[in-house]
Amino acid sequence: MFFLHNLERRVTLHPSYFGRNMHELVTTKLVKDVEGTCAGDYYIIAIMDAFDVSEGRILPGNGLAEFTVKYRAVVWRPFKGEVVDAIVFSINPHGFFCQAGPLSIFVSSHLMPEEIHFDPNATPPQFTNNADMVIEPGTHVRVKIGGLRTELGEMYAIGSINGDFLGCLQA
Amino acid sequence: MVKTIQLGSRLRYPITITKLYKEPNQPIKKKEALFQYSFKWKRTVGDNIRGETWEAEETTYADWSSPSDGELKSWKIRVGQEISRDQDCMVVKESCSHDVQFGGLCAICGKDMTEVNWAAESRDMDRAPINMVHDQTHLTVSETQAQKTENALQRRLLQHRKLSLVVDLDQTIIHACIDPTVGEWQKDPSNPNYPSVRNVKSFQLDDGPRGVANNCWYYIKMRPGLEDFLKKISTMYELHVYTMGTRAYAQNVARIVDPDKKLFGNRVISRDENGNMYAKSLQRLFPVSTKMVVIIDDRADVWPRNRPNLIKVSPYDFFKGIGDINSGFLPKQQGLLTPSAAATTNGGLARIAPAPSPDKEDSTTMEPPLEKALEEQEKTLEKQIKDRPLQALQEQQDKQDEAAERASATPENGNTESTTPPPPHHRHQVLQDDDRELAFLENHLTALHKSFFQAYEQNRLSQPSSSPSSLDTQSIPDIGSILTTLKAQALSGCKIVLSGIVPIGMDVYRSEIGLQVASFGAELRSSVTGDVTHLVVSSQRPRTKKVRQAIRYLPKIKIVNQDWLAACFSEWRVVEEGPYLIEGLEDAQKKLNEKVQDAEATETVSDADDTDSGNAPPGKKRILRLKSPPRVRFATAASTGNDEDEDEDEEDSDSGGDDEDEDEDMDEELEAFKPTDADGQLSPIDGLKTFNWGSADEELAEFLESGSDDEDEEEDEDDDEDGDNANGDEDEEAPAQATTNINTTSSSYEKLPAAQGTAPPTKRKADDEEEEESHKRQKSLLGPGPSSLRNELKDEDVEATTAEVETQAAHDDQDVQDADDLDKEFEELDEEALEADFLAMDDSDGDEAQGQQVDGDEAGNGGVSENG
Repeated sequence: MFFLHNLERRVTLHPSYFGRNMHELVTTKLVKDVEGTCAGDYYIIAIMDAFDVSEGRILPGNGLAEFTVKYRAVVWRPFKGEVVDAIVFSINPHGFFCQAGPLSIFVSSHLMPEEIHFDPNATPPQFTNNADMVIEPGTHVRVKIGGLRTELGEMYAIGSINGDFLGCLQA
Repeated sequence: MVKTIQLGSRLRYPITITKLYKEPNQPIKKKEALFQYSFKWKRTVGDNIRGETWEAEETTYADWSSPSDGELKSWKIRVGQEISRDQDCMVVKESCSHDVQFGGLCAICGKDMTEVNWAAESRDMDRAPINMVHDQTHLTVSETQAQKTENALQRRLLQHRKLSLVVDLDQTIIHACIDPTVGEWQKDPSNPNYPSVRNVKSFQLDDGPRGVANNCWYYIKMRPGLEDFLKKISTMYELHVYTMGTRAYAQNVARIVDPDKKLFGNRVISRDENGNMYAKSLQRLFPVSTKMVVIIDDRADVWPRNRPNLIKVSPYDFFKGIGDINSGFLPKQQGLLTPSAAATTNGGLARIAPAPSPDKEDSTTMEPPLEKALEEQEKTLEKQIKDRPLQALQEQQDKQDEAAERASATPENGNTESTTPPPPHHRHQVLQDDDRELAFLENHLTALHKSFFQAYEQNRLSQPSSSPSSLDTQSIPDIGSILTTLKAQALSGCKIVLSGIVPIGMDVYRSEIGLQVASFGAELRSSVTGDVTHLVVSSQRPRTKKVRQAIRYLPKIKIVNQDWLAACFSEWRVVEEGPYLIEGLEDAQKKLNEKVQDAEATETVSDADDTDSGNAPPGKKRILRLKSPPRVRFATAASTGNDEDEDEDEEDSDSGGDDEDEDEDMDEELEAFKPTDADGQLSPIDGLKTFNWGSADEELAEFLESGSDDEDEEEDEDDDEDGDNANGDEDEEAPAQATTNINTTSSSYEKLPAAQGTAPPTKRKADDEEEEESHKRQKSLLGPGPSSLRNELKDEDVEATTAEVETQAAHDDQDVQDADDLDKEFEELDEEALEADFLAMDDSDGDEAQGQQVDGDEAGNGGVSENG
């Protein structure tokens, strides 16, 4: 689910950048540092604006200036039970991997409808029900997130296509 | 899904079950209390301060919590039961067995597997320890799941009558380099190499190395006939790629080799997913059974656990001297069968780089930490980019200057000495595309496939239970043993001796080549005897002791160079020896035979001497290593007079121990031509036999070490004075000889007589200094001395040494006259044959001798080598 989230971050600036457009630089650096990263259990998708940039404080010792920036960002936090659209990128006998934006989701063969099975003889190997459903790298699928785990800067998710309206998306 | 659960070892046994909370067929949850038990224990009670304490027995009641979710099927315990140790307590039908896990999540139920709690003794993570997917590291499966998957795979393969083939990329089916020169050649149709590099494919990597090598082009040359080979082989084998390159590299190469993804599909595994930087393992892909898997790789040492399944192919070396660009992490290979110069079909064009090119050696001697290895790898690549083009151009310049073979020899020597990475060599056409390995490989793989399925059918028929139509995984034969038997037929009956091929200090039987020889069914021998069939000699060092021994058996024993062995390895049969025979040995043998008839096995010095000179044909058939290298004039035996100077020199250095190699060589030389069968030990200068050289050498070595001790240990100095003095006296005469000798010895010694001559009163001091210096020099020649001996030096040792030296001098007086004629002969030989010989061959030889390619039987000479 997407949220508009108010966040705060400390940004440091090298003395060589001190000048009139410092705040602009701080914002640029913030965007560069933060956008697209995984912060705990959500991804920071885009920064809307930095609405408050504090006064710089010189750090003793190295002379860098530190700014506390309050900013507003669009974040995406996947939830267990959430249904997302994703693109398949890898297939193996145990299941397939798909990618929903920054999150890669593994869909195990246990969590597929009964009639879908792994076909290793196809090139490339695929999951198929020998009818309309063919899952191979590049296929768009709709999956339901069954479990999530976060590690530092990384998220793992388990998906399922066992359910109504899940599975291949006919484009 | 049904699992029996134990009580666990953490309980305070003995326990008594007091109450069961759950009935069979009730659902249970993790961490839920399932039964109550009691246990008795002793508690210390009373007043601690006054010391009035006693132990009281107490009974405690505790709950036992469920380690897993599911449904309770039955109890294995009952109320009132007393249990004294860990045992089964219940049968549970688990709701999820967590067979497939992804990044610490169960891929089936979505629960977090990394959680640790009190209820379970082991983590759920440990239920799925096996990583068997090609392109993911986070996906792990349990043993049951692995077995299921692999069973399905085997059935499918059997159905299609296929096997699995794991294919290495670098130097097995392709050769890669990043030398920009290749790109330039590709654009230049006038270049002699244009036809060779025309169908070299290239790509760039986004995540390639940083720095200079960033965004470089990778040039990929497919092994000749690769397309056909893979097409044919893929009907019999399911192909997997297993490479030590990065994932991006592997995929790019796969795209080149197999554009339609029909051959490899997505079965590509690279070092990113391998989980080990130094070794490959079939268990990574086939954790349960490797019975149907064959490997082709150019390196056997990276498959420590899967040797039986491996077909080692000869490395494909198209871009000469580049080696494997992805082997930076791997341990350096030793004892390789590098093709000889002659084998490169282009006349004098010699390959100087051993397969891992010299610029990589430093990075791969140890198993360096990962970051360092990465850095080194980058450096290596940078070097290739920076250095290659220049060197290549230079080479080309040389080639244009002179098409003659000598031209290519000179720069090559230069390169060897400076150990810079050798450029791709240039002659009329440098990059030869004449590799035939894949044709042989195809035959081997076809034969293997055939015999596997024969064995399979046989096994199946012998098992009456199985119906003929069903696929029976029980009767799958092990392809490892089939391969082993097939290979063992290849060279069976051959008795092979290796000489100059395995580096010294290495066990021949454990060396890569030794293992290979054995795996092909040949018998590896350590010494030359009458029943040996082949002597394999390094073409860089074709005159070893073993060769001289083997000359005697010549028509029966085939003396061949290492290319013969390489050819046998790739063709799996005894190859016709003709083209690989070492030339010129027949003459030597003829001479030897004549000699035997002529002189009836006399062992006198002069005879040996005659044999020697008689046997040296005008060409380069014999090497007499008499050319004196820079030699330390040491006090020993110097008093004998100036006439025998040359001779003295020989003896001196001998006792000094700096020239064992040469000396022994000479001895061997003579022995080999001695008509009798005597094997070693006999010196041509027979009189010296009585003298114990071994002890003299040792003592002298010890004594020499003392030079530095003088500086280190003050107390020793007084003791040493005597010894120094004694030697100093003798040293007086040494300079006189040295002056006559100076032409042959290195100029650094000219200083010696000068210092002696100027200051007779302070002579002793000067002598000491001189001696210290000469010690140092000698040490530098000797290499690191036996340091353990250093501190043991006492004055009696010194005296003993001097005494020995005197006796030796006396001996010399006698023998010198005998040996005099010999020496003259030697000198003559020295002039004509040897010079040429040394220049042509032994120069590079000497350099190499220190590191590698030294004959195994000269192992005793260790660090000593000719610095001529």
